[in-house]
Amino acid sequence: MNARPTIRLGVTLAALASPALAAAGPASAATLKGVFNIGSGSYFRMGEPDGSFFSNPYSADSSKTYTLITPGSEGGLRTGVVQKAPSPAFDAKGDSRAGAIIKPTNFTGIRFGLATTSAPAISVSGSHLSGQVNGLVAEWNKQVFKQGNKVTGTYSAKTRRYVLTWSALIKGGPFNGFTGYWRLQGTFSPA
Amino acid sequence: MPAERPKRWPLVALAVIGLALIAAPFAFGMFGRAPKGAQMINSFAPYMTNRRLDGFQSDLRYIDGGVLGGQAELRALGAAGGGREAVRFPEFVTFERQWRAIDPDMTSMLDTIQANVGNYRAVAALPSFRLFPWFFVIPGAIVLLLVGLGWLRPGRWRATRWVLAVVGVGLVLAPVAFQMFSRAPKGARMVSAFTTIETRPRVERIQIYFSEIASGQGTVQLDLIPALGRAGLDARQISSTYPGLTTLDAQWVHILNDMTPMIGAMSDNVTNYQAVAALPSFRLFPWFFVLPGLIIIALVAAAGPRRRRDEASVARDPEFSSPLNEGVR
Repeated sequence: MNARPTIRLGVTLAALASPALAAAGPASAATLKGVFNIGSGSYFRMGEPDGSFFSNPYSADSSKTYTLITPGSEGGLRTGVVQKAPSPAFDAKGDSRAGAIIKPTNFTGIRFGLATTSAPAISVSGSHLSGQVNGLVAEWNKQVFKQGNKVTGTYSAKTRRYVLTWSALIKGGPFNGFTGYWRLQGTFSPA
Repeated sequence: MPAERPKRWPLVALAVIGLALIAAPFAFGMFGRAPKGAQMINSFAPYMTNRRLDGFQSDLRYIDGGVLGGQAELRALGAAGGGREAVRFPEFVTFERQWRAIDPDMTSMLDTIQANVGNYRAVAALPSFRLFPWFFVIPGAIVLLLVGLGWLRPGRWRATRWVLAVVGVGLVLAPVAFQMFSRAPKGARMVSAFTTIETRPRVERIQIYFSEIASGQGTVQLDLIPALGRAGLDARQISSTYPGLTTLDAQWVHILNDMTPMIGAMSDNVTNYQAVAALPSFRLFPWFFVLPGLIIIALVAAAGPRRRRDEASVARDPEFSSPLNEGVR
């Protein structure tokens, strides 16, 4: 029996069916590898256990519960790679020296920085961003606070503008029970 | 020579004591709680010194000085500006009000902690809490083992009872060696004193205080001191007229460095403290060793050597009479 016509028929049917399947199902997610550059409007907020927000008098924002963050030496958050904190991580005062993701920012008189202990992974599906920044840590006053979690957001493939948000409950330490709320926005630069 | 056999009932009682010693740590949840106690003792070590606690009291005085300085500034600026200064510095006015509650509460808390430095030292000088369950289990297991040996190999009872007696004496002496009679009650006093401190609501209140103090310091540095500059005072005049403001400003990073780890230690040890507080009172701990020890000694004495009737009857046989079994008659 000659199998060639059968194979040809199968390949043709599969080729015809695949666009239809793609249209019927959800758009496939594509991994975004590169830098989520931190732009204007990015911030950190700290929620207190009673539901109010920590007021940072040194915030540049008019509402002191929003601590505005600006890009660090690497422009922002890199996916697919780890952005480690330098060693030593702090100066004598307790200011963070982790300046790759954000420029260390004054929080109550001492600067905090961000670093990652594992590579963030973020993918886009249509205009929807999802992924994780599980290894994200905030470093402040000679202390390290885990601030990683799953992230969600939006992305425009045309303009490469993005918004990423997540929150992370602080467990242990002086801010135990507080929640960090993060919003990064700006443009994405593919690697 | 006739074999010395232990009496049966003291052996049974000794076995019960051995089992009780093994069971006690499980009954009191010591394997879970004692390591938490050890963790708490270690975590508190950097803070439970008079030097460090004096430092915290100084931190409170710096903040209080800042508040007093701010009040003086508002009075002075108010006199010059028609009394509207409070409106210009609402954050400071809010902080001033909050400080009235924070200061006595924090001072009282630090006083309580400081009053327990000696008690803490006494507890910290005890062997690690992690070992405590084993201080019961190991003697208990040894007692059980020796009772089993006494039961199965009665011929060796003389040696076995000596080892049992040593275990009993060891239990009696252990609290003396570790100075438990003086240290354990101090530990009990510390646990009792911290009842109102190491609670989640109290720690959360301290965290909120920290947030309020941070906000207050911010208004001192960012609002009050610049306002004095705008009123025509240079840095030296501000420092000499309002030393409380400039001292708080200068000491703020030190206060942050000092206080946040302490708040962290307090917060991280709430569950550890609860575990320690759930243990039986520390006052009882020496007796948990002494009483079983005394009972073991008494039972070993009561177990005594008992000679088997058949051996005794053999001994009474004139054919077997010898100077060695004279005492049996």
